[in-house]
Amino acid sequence: MDPLILGLIVAVATIVILFSGVAVASGLLIVSAIFLVIFDGLRSLELMPEVLFGKLDNFALLSIPMFILMGASIASTRAGADLYEALHRWLTKVPGGLVISNLGACGLFAAMSGSSPATCAAIGKMGIPEMRKRNYPDEVATGSIAAGGTLGILIPPSVTMIVYGVATETSIGRLFLAGVIPGLLLVGLFMAWSIYSTWKSGSGDALQAQVYTWREKFEVLPRVVPFLLVIVGVLYALYGGVATPSETAAVGALLCLLLAVVIYRMTNLGQLWTMLRDSTKESVMILFIIGAAGVFSYMLSSLFITQAIAEWIGTLDVNRWVLMLYVNIFLLVAGFFLPPVAVILMAAPVLMPIILGAGFDPYWFAVVLTINMEIGLISPPVGLNLYVINGIAPEIPLKTILKGSLPYVGCMVVAILILCIFPGLATWLPDTLMGTAVK
Amino acid sequence: MNQVILLVTAVSRAVGVIAALMIVLAVAITCQMIFLRYFLNESTVWQTEVVIYLMIGATLLGLPYVQTLKGHVNVDLLPIMLPPKARKMLLVTALAAGAAVLSVMTYYGGEIAHLAFTRNWTSDTVTAVPLWIPYISMPLGFGLFTLQLIADMLELIATPADKIIVEVGGH
Repeated sequence: MDPLILGLIVAVATIVILFSGVAVASGLLIVSAIFLVIFDGLRSLELMPEVLFGKLDNFALLSIPMFILMGASIASTRAGADLYEALHRWLTKVPGGLVISNLGACGLFAAMSGSSPATCAAIGKMGIPEMRKRNYPDEVATGSIAAGGTLGILIPPSVTMIVYGVATETSIGRLFLAGVIPGLLLVGLFMAWSIYSTWKSGSGDALQAQVYTWREKFEVLPRVVPFLLVIVGVLYALYGGVATPSETAAVGALLCLLLAVVIYRMTNLGQLWTMLRDSTKESVMILFIIGAAGVFSYMLSSLFITQAIAEWIGTLDVNRWVLMLYVNIFLLVAGFFLPPVAVILMAAPVLMPIILGAGFDPYWFAVVLTINMEIGLISPPVGLNLYVINGIAPEIPLKTILKGSLPYVGCMVVAILILCIFPGLATWLPDTLMGTAVK
Repeated sequence: MNQVILLVTAVSRAVGVIAALMIVLAVAITCQMIFLRYFLNESTVWQTEVVIYLMIGATLLGLPYVQTLKGHVNVDLLPIMLPPKARKMLLVTALAAGAAVLSVMTYYGGEIAHLAFTRNWTSDTVTAVPLWIPYISMPLGFGLFTLQLIADMLELIATPADKIIVEVGGH
């Protein structure tokens, strides 16, 4: 059979099986097993566990459980509330200070915890009632938090970026740096929209400043600064060439755990176990998908599907930007249904040759891909953040939350367009700090 | 039947605790490695390899526990939209298919572990770790995961179709 047609059949089978409600990783194994048996015979199954084990046998992957543990220990404390309070007190003099401090808190907390739902919950619990009290429209109060929560997968250290790095064999340190400026760009766009739409809705008075004394401003710092120092320390160790991402992540995890115990007095064994359990759950889930996706891509290449697609793309005579548009639409649709990690792992072996062949930078593409995944997090049908916000602010109808988050999806699309026009926004920082990438 | 399901779940939980502790141990060993290398300028030999095996072990042994927590992400859009009876049938089929492919993984994973043991395979590093130790996590993890999937399937079959709740936003 022509490998291209076979590829199409595999794609359809994968979609059908994943939509049955089976776990993503098991689904990938099922599809792989079916096609391996049909085309390579029953004996080809014996390689499946070996391929899965081999895929996981990689020191770079260790950074995933470590960063998750680091994020979970921060997320399990009151750090989110403190961070919110600190930014709130320091930024209220700025016009629209409240929504600005909310988005800033989202960005920072997302970076520290690396978790989109945890950010929405931690900052939203404080931020949404406060914004409503100060007369912000419900759409802005919920939409800004839902959008702000998605920043965690773009701003370093990001587990999504690590998975991309492992799947495409690109430098994780460089990927982290590539996400910084686009992350700030998104924060800026979110802020601009929030202020504009609050002003336009006629609740301009909400944007007025609130005054805190210096004493009030300084008293919140001791509980926030140590966590920020750990994050800065982690990034310094990564780029100062002191340690690899996995080693840095381990030290970061240990330090954040200690801070949670020392500063937030998290000495209750039950609390510690809940945190450990949640981070184990998250790590196992992601690593199992990584292993299963390894088996899936082994199946694709042993049936010559990957190679055939790369060859086929080479013969296509389309404009590279038209190609990028198609890739974006594909990613967007996949992101509507699947978690970011699964999309990256399934798409990377097929998309990478296309992207490189068309002359796009893999680090720039990582950022574009991640923003696409962020859109999926705040769009129906499975936009996780929408449900988290619905859970913490049940008095606001889901319809309003949805309506509120749509303009922020618009901001993300604008960010992708800006990145297409100025790719340097993603590549400048890694190129400057780490030297031009060898391609 | 209920007792079998409870037993399988209890074993999955116990193994899950071990998996969680393996991750903590991996953090500790990695930190020790960094301390030796950067502060005492000593060379490290076994640490890198051991932490990788700990991570793989934690992942595989954690599979059944994560299943008890319903932590393996899935796309639940279709099951939510279906009428109760069809939903139940689809979910049972999905669990059965998962159990089938994982029993294949268990069998061949066990074969590799057995080969590694009888032929004394070791990793090709200075440490020369006997490979059956990390490999044994395959039949154990996949095997318990298979049992947990079957237990969940039996429980689902016993639940009336209109009582099955699918949580929205599975990831």
